[in-house]
Amino acid sequence: MPLDSILSRDSFLLMAELRLFWLVAAFYAFSLILHLFHVFSRGESAGKTANTLLWVGAVIHVGLITLRTFETGRAPFQTLYESLSFFACSAVLTYLFVSRRWKGIYLPGTLVAALAFGACMYALLSRSPAIEPLSPPLQSWWFEWHVVLAFFSYAVFIVSAAVEISYLAVKPLLKSGDGQYGFRADMLEDFHGTALRLVLFGFPLLTFAIFSGAAWANVAWGRYWSWDPKETWSLITWTVFTLYLHSKAIPSMRGTPASVFNILGFICMLMTFLGVNWLAKLLGIPSMHVYAV
Amino acid sequence: MGLESVKKYACSAWNSEGRKELPKWAYRKLSSIRTSIYVLCLMALSFMVGTVFPQGESYEEYEKAGGKFLFFVSAFDLLEFFSSPLFLLLAVVFSLNLAICVLERYKALFVRRTFPKLFKPTKSFLLTHDRGHSHEDVRAALKSMKFRVADKDGDWVVMEKGLPYKWLTWAYHAGIVVCLFGVLLTFLFAFEEMMTLKPGEPQTIAPESTGLVQSIWQDKAAPSDFHLVLDKFTTEYTEAPELVYPDDKKARAAIGLGWQGLSHELKDDSLFAKDWWASLRAVAGGATIAEKKIEINDPLELEGYTIYLLGFEQELKLMVDGNPLLIDAKADSEVMLPNAATISFGTLRSGTATRVDGKEEEFTPYVTVRKTDSTGDPAILRLGDSVIVDNVTVTLAGFTESAILSYRYDPGVGVLWAGGLVVLLAVALRFYGAYYLIAYKVDDSDDIVHLSVHVTTKGLLADKQKLLNRLEARLTENDIKPVPLPSI
Ligand code: HEM
Repeated sequence: MPLDSILSRDSFLLMAELRLFWLVAAFYAFSLILHLFHVFSRGESAGKTANTLLWVGAVIHVGLITLRTFETGRAPFQTLYESLSFFACSAVLTYLFVSRRWKGIYLPGTLVAALAFGACMYALLSRSPAIEPLSPPLQSWWFEWHVVLAFFSYAVFIVSAAVEISYLAVKPLLKSGDGQYGFRADMLEDFHGTALRLVLFGFPLLTFAIFSGAAWANVAWGRYWSWDPKETWSLITWTVFTLYLHSKAIPSMRGTPASVFNILGFICMLMTFLGVNWLAKLLGIPSMHVYAV
Repeated sequence: MGLESVKKYACSAWNSEGRKELPKWAYRKLSSIRTSIYVLCLMALSFMVGTVFPQGESYEEYEKAGGKFLFFVSAFDLLEFFSSPLFLLLAVVFSLNLAICVLERYKALFVRRTFPKLFKPTKSFLLTHDRGHSHEDVRAALKSMKFRVADKDGDWVVMEKGLPYKWLTWAYHAGIVVCLFGVLLTFLFAFEEMMTLKPGEPQTIAPESTGLVQSIWQDKAAPSDFHLVLDKFTTEYTEAPELVYPDDKKARAAIGLGWQGLSHELKDDSLFAKDWWASLRAVAGGATIAEKKIEINDPLELEGYTIYLLGFEQELKLMVDGNPLLIDAKADSEVMLPNAATISFGTLRSGTATRVDGKEEEFTPYVTVRKTDSTGDPAILRLGDSVIVDNVTVTLAGFTESAILSYRYDPGVGVLWAGGLVVLLAVALRFYGAYYLIAYKVDDSDDIVHLSVHVTTKGLLADKQKLLNRLEARLTENDIKPVPLPSI
């Protein structure tokens, strides 16, 4: 194929991909609006439609990521643009999978839709969609494993936090006999148990992600741990989830303290993924190197 | 740990009774999971401190860059926090806490388990058998479901099946202790340095430093008894067209919404280094003892050292105005020409390239060059060719490529991986696997035989409801069967 045709084919594919991505973001945006409407109106139909929109967005998103994988011929999470897209998609899919048997419960979807929409918009407006060749450090067996497992654990922690926050919001309402968002008193504790089960599922993944990261750093940079901010925040996240699991093993801490640790773990996870440098800026402290994703 | 008890021990530590009690008290505190909650909180906070303050920066640099809280920063070593006494103390408490918990729980693994006298029934079944048969039936049903007896002395019979979760919980805690030991070995013994290996200039590994412990008896580690030789340095490129994409958010939205197009362009210097290798040979006593083409992610292990390829350094040989006057210049740097402007070079490209259409070719090495104060596109200077800058002719006469290597001695890595493997395996089995404990009691106190069952599970794969359904199906299946009459 002549060079010009190759270049215009690549531009066409990327263009199609970008438009699909905007479409996905639009579905997430409408889903978020309807979720918010559900939060304020407590109406079931808004929640149901919001959930359907999330489904449609997710199906297109899977198609989009598959397209990107074929386009690049490698795992679709090398640049931050790709990672954000993968992050949003995996969170939404995990949520849809976990919530598939819930009847009339849509509240946790609000956080998931908000994060997915935020991640998509950040990718679309602030990052370049250019397809970069895989740089030598990334040409490693560890690359795929490390990143997939980390993102998978992130997705699970997001859903766990969404469940935890919904539980904390609904519990007092149920006690005061107010609106229920599809909850009955007898199912609330089992619903809350989902948050723990999700962390139990995500925690080994995060553990493996950290170990594989260290193993990778050891062969790529010659040192398994450098206290790089990203590494350190992943360790903080892991420590906070360890705290959560331990507090579940202590009867007096099983309630609110454990919930606080779970939500803190989620915030630390967001810091690991995106917020590392933001904190340093906020405190007016000279920033360290940015870790490119 | 309450403030009162701390005060009490702080006071009583001075009398002899207190001195005896203090270690016991400390041991007791360090074997508690509650302490580990506090310690883990402190660890998390201290990690945060280390990400907020720029590690490794000097105080001057920090101050110049507008850093705040100077007093605290210097008082607590916040710019070298992970090797500061405060952090190390915390790390020691953390390790002790974990190690003592592991030790205590190890003893507990062998203690005969006791079960409660009473269990809260999860479910009850009516049985149509008499009490004796029911008992046998339940036992047989549970045995066929692979349950083994754990306790049959009380009113409730306790049976269990699945992975030994107590051992697994213990194993990953122990695994973390092993990992921490590996990290300690690294902290005490590891050292690393860099060297630039030029082609045709063999070098021994001659460190200028050594590990923390070795530094007690020597300033620097002994040089290696082998030489490293760089046989060849190779680079492979791929042609990477550039995407023309606006920075402006509105323009980006316009592209996404279809109001504006998108294009790629191929510049003269659109090569992306996708791989580079150093062909290394280790020679001792005239014989080659090891040979490897190393690259990032694939180091050479030799005599306790791991030798990594960090990058490369290029030197250009330039001829000015046809003179044999040679200037050695680093690629990616500026050169002042005699009586002319300063020029800047880019990275030298040499090796093979995969073109956009998939064709592979070996190309003539070249370097980009431009006048330092100009903003235009750089010129391409190929090997053997010249450019004219302010009437001065500059020719690229040759170049050398050296490998920048780092070598590291770290006896902690193997221990860390061994511990890590145990942690991963045990965590995965403990969290994902399944363990069931079932306690049952057959009762006929009001002439109706009924079975009470209590089930506890561990692990995500354990499905309590499924187990109860299976048990019920098994028992009703048996119930329907006629009970054989005793033969006369
Ligand atoms: C300061 C370090 C630590 C100490 C002192 C400690 C101590 C303990 C203790 C005493 C228990 C109760 C075990 C039992 O009931 O027999 C426990 C449970 C647990 N620990 Fe740790 N631990 C530490 C670190 C960790 C870490 C780093 C992890 C992460 C892998 C972890 C994961 C867990 C989990 C998940 C449980 C709950 C086990 C269960 O419910 O069966 N611990 N820990």
